[in-house]
Amino acid sequence: MSTHATNPKIGYDQLSVGQENEAVVVENLTRTQIVQYAGASGDFNPIHHDETFATKAAGYPSVFAHGMLTMGLTGKMLTDWLGDGVLRDFGVRFVSQVWPGDTLTARGTVVSIGEPKDGECAVEIELVTRNQKGRPVVTGSATASLPARV
Amino acid sequence: MATDAKRKAELEEKLRDWVGADAGSCPAPDVVNGQMIRHWCAVMGDSNPVYQDAEAAKNSIHGGIVAPPAMMNAWTMPPFVPPWDDLAAEATDGEQELHQLFEQYGYTGVVGTDHDMEIRRYLRLGDEITASKVVEAISEEKPTPLGLGYFIDVRWIFRDQNDEEVGSLLFRTMRYQPAQEAMPVSSAAVSSVPTRLPPPKGHDNAWWWEGIDRGELLIQKCSACGVLRHPPRPMCGECQSLDWEPEASAGSGTVYSFTVLHHPQVPGYEYPLVVGLIELDEGTRIVANVVGCEPGELQIGLVVEAHIEKVEGGMKLPFFRPAR
Repeated sequence: MSTHATNPKIGYDQLSVGQENEAVVVENLTRTQIVQYAGASGDFNPIHHDETFATKAAGYPSVFAHGMLTMGLTGKMLTDWLGDGVLRDFGVRFVSQVWPGDTLTARGTVVSIGEPKDGECAVEIELVTRNQKGRPVVTGSATASLPARV
Repeated sequence: MATDAKRKAELEEKLRDWVGADAGSCPAPDVVNGQMIRHWCAVMGDSNPVYQDAEAAKNSIHGGIVAPPAMMNAWTMPPFVPPWDDLAAEATDGEQELHQLFEQYGYTGVVGTDHDMEIRRYLRLGDEITASKVVEAISEEKPTPLGLGYFIDVRWIFRDQNDEEVGSLLFRTMRYQPAQEAMPVSSAAVSSVPTRLPPPKGHDNAWWWEGIDRGELLIQKCSACGVLRHPPRPMCGECQSLDWEPEASAGSGTVYSFTVLHHPQVPGYEYPLVVGLIELDEGTRIVANVVGCEPGELQIGLVVEAHIEKVEGGMKLPFFRPAR
């Protein structure tokens, strides 16, 4: 397995407002991955996997990814950065569709660090995930509860 | 496709009863399990061992395998029932009924717009999750780039086998009347992207647009007091005279103010879209897009010059560019 820490990976005192973390969360997204997500999530809306339905009936240029797939990929950037078990709130807006072939880069920016309470601070993160053209596909925010330096 | 006012009132009457209504409950078909976690992590490319490696997870703060938090609603997703199956009719819950109501009134389009998830605790193997759904809010009808639509907020509350709340999800979808019927083939669908709306040309302003079509930027000048005004209107705001004459502008000016639009993105425009309020050297102001420079380079006071350019659909518009 990988070398992921299995605890909070960073303390609130190791973060500062304005600090950023960026990660490429998927490269050249394939239709197969979209179908894989349909199976993994149970979301079988045909607009995400049936090319004929998506183009001829719904009028889109092709199938496109589930919003929750992009949300999950964005979440991977967060948990890889901050650690496990620390997320308290995670909200996104689907601002643009994600198409097969897209490469997505997720970025989190620390916007505030709360007062310590029971040894932990609520850290607010602003999120934006962009495609290879730099266009935001998901924007949002997350709150993580982090201890001091770990 | 337009729903007349009476139908709309009828729909909104019915919608009022839906706000706060129970939208059904979804018991997870399976307990939280390693197989579903494995499929989910495979798509995400997430190799975090607390999701899949029992030994590593045991030594973590969780003390055992947990499910990825963003996977919360995958557990309670109702099983897919093919529409030709007899079970399909029986499987209808409150949320689906609400969507059917919108369909009956012509709001056939649907798109998910927001997910807001609250995580009380991470789920562990063997947890039995049930989601109960409540319609939290339905917006007024709003114009959107896709068409007229309503935003529906459904709150999913996830509880475990001990009836403890483990998290919640606010899922916002929009039901809309597609602005136009879907195109029959994909190539046509691509070319059906709307362009800029042509300007309304009427008795009081058509002369100005005709000037633009000839390549002239005109300003309206009061014949009585000489004050310039823009956009065109019948009466002088200074002396109330109805007499006016057009005067040609040299097209040079300075940026008096500007804004950069990122969202919402209306079809037909390129974003970020720079909208400038330009003070013409002749002494009145005009709103127009500023092009030819990065939004970050734009400053109040920047000297700009007008260019009349053709945009999609053959329409001509004045744009301003930084002066050389």
